Amino acid sequence: MLRLITTAVVITLLASILRAQDAGNTEQATIRLLVKQVKELQEKVKALEAAAKPQATDAVASAPSPPQTTPQEERVTTEEAPLALHDLHGIRWLGFGEVDYKVLDQRIPELGTFGFTPGSAGNFYTGDFDLFLTSRINDKATILSEIVFGEGPDQTFNVDLERLLLKYQYSDYLKLSFGRYHTDVGYYNAAFHSGKWLQTMADRPLIMEYASDGGLLPTQAVGVAITGLVPHTRKLGVNYEFEYGSSDTVRPDINGSNKENDENNGNHILLGAFFRPDGIPGLQIGGSFYHDQISNEDLIPPPRLNQTIVNAHIVYIAHHIEFLNEGFLIRHAEINGPTAFNMPAFYTQFSRGFGRIRPFFRFQYANTNRDSIYNDVLLRYGPSFGARYDFNGNIAFKTQLDHTIRKGEPDLNGLQFQLAFTF
Amino acid sequence: MGGRHITILSMICWSMLASAQTAAPNNLDIAVVVNEENRVNDLSMADLRKILSGEKQTWPGGQAVKLVVRAPGTHERLVLLRVLSMSENEYKQHWISQVFRGEAQTEPPVLPSNGMQKEALASFPGAIALVEARDVKSPMKVVKIDGRLPGQPGYPLH
Repeated sequence: MLRLITTAVVITLLASILRAQDAGNTEQATIRLLVKQVKELQEKVKALEAAAKPQATDAVASAPSPPQTTPQEERVTTEEAPLALHDLHGIRWLGFGEVDYKVLDQRIPELGTFGFTPGSAGNFYTGDFDLFLTSRINDKATILSEIVFGEGPDQTFNVDLERLLLKYQYSDYLKLSFGRYHTDVGYYNAAFHSGKWLQTMADRPLIMEYASDGGLLPTQAVGVAITGLVPHTRKLGVNYEFEYGSSDTVRPDINGSNKENDENNGNHILLGAFFRPDGIPGLQIGGSFYHDQISNEDLIPPPRLNQTIVNAHIVYIAHHIEFLNEGFLIRHAEINGPTAFNMPAFYTQFSRGFGRIRPFFRFQYANTNRDSIYNDVLLRYGPSFGARYDFNGNIAFKTQLDHTIRKGEPDLNGLQFQLAFTF
Repeated sequence: MGGRHITILSMICWSMLASAQTAAPNNLDIAVVVNEENRVNDLSMADLRKILSGEKQTWPGGQAVKLVVRAPGTHERLVLLRVLSMSENEYKQHWISQVFRGEAQTEPPVLPSNGMQKEALASFPGAIALVEARDVKSPMKVVKIDGRLPGQPGYPLH
């Protein structure tokens, strides 16, 4: 019986090995056949080329002679082909757009809700339409510009040159930018700019809102920015930031009073640093120190103030998680006077992607002084939550609920739908 | 006696199967390849991650890094996404964001074939790409990752 089993097993194994060999033989035969066919084709091509040569020589003799290419030139031409194919030249365009619907539980307009008109509790609006242009000059130099068509009240639109930069990257340790830029006063400002599609949530945190939309910080300036990696800190990934420039913040009140404050900023200086440790990919810890001088036009004569803004941030973006945390202390101190205001603000934002859906949550807080230039803000805090759904790599739909607690005013609730896209 | 034969035969079959199984992952290792003129021989996993995410943009000596990537759905692309812990959408968003921030000149060119990748590697002195180890051809130069070459025990990309 055992012999029978042994024989059966051996026969089965031999049969399977033979079948495998057959398959191998068939494949080998096919390869041999293909190689043979390739060789035959090569021979035919050679024969055709040889036959065509005398005719070509005759034709060339009667026509003006084309420039002769040396083997070296031929090599250069073939090497340039992929350069032309894959290297981008000229101006490259990127666009970001949005269509929103926002409804509030009050009829008094709040800034940051764009197309709202007094008496309206809910409106459609197109927010920012952002055109981003970039042109590569060479491996180290680039021109970059960002033009935003922003929606104001009553469906009026304005054009703003958000950024115009000549960037020169000498190495990872030294990157220079000249022109109009978004200041590094906070992580969010430098990370998301005006592209709503890039943001997880439908809007920016109030403290990081553009000054022209009622935000508190000087978000734009013209000047020079220098950044780079600090040498010999590879494992810690320490980066430095330096900016020197002129910002001119004109900020509308966010309480719907239609009043605008021109801060008449002097030149600013910003020093910052952040760490991106190798050990925890996706983690960034950093901070910045901003200083300039501004005026308080609410008072006559307008006193000059020293403005100092200190920022600290911890950000983690990896494994489908986005966790943003930023804290600010804004100090306005009268020059040659005793008055000084310290105004804190922070936000924390968490989201996690589950395939195409990304639920998010944010809590934000700002507390300004009644006698400061931010007397329209005062104490505001509250949560926002919702979800983002990515239809594809270009179009996202966001739903967001906001609850804002305001000092001296009723709580404000908002519901926002946003279709954000890039192209 | 028959029982011994079966045991021996079984052992031979198992050893053949086992050797075939251990050989397979080596073939599927993903090699990190650069231009043959590049002086870099070894990269840490952290440095590779920085290069693939566009954070590290120059080689030692100042040559600009030129990352070329394969199309979505390829083995090389899947390994790239795994190294960066990103989905395809997140990867796209990441690179648009890098360009938008001015931290990268362009997104990495997406090449549909290994042949084009080989051409790009030969053309750009600062080029770097991921290639299946079995597709590595001259003049691609394979770089060690954390001191290991494809096929060596502990090699992290496969």
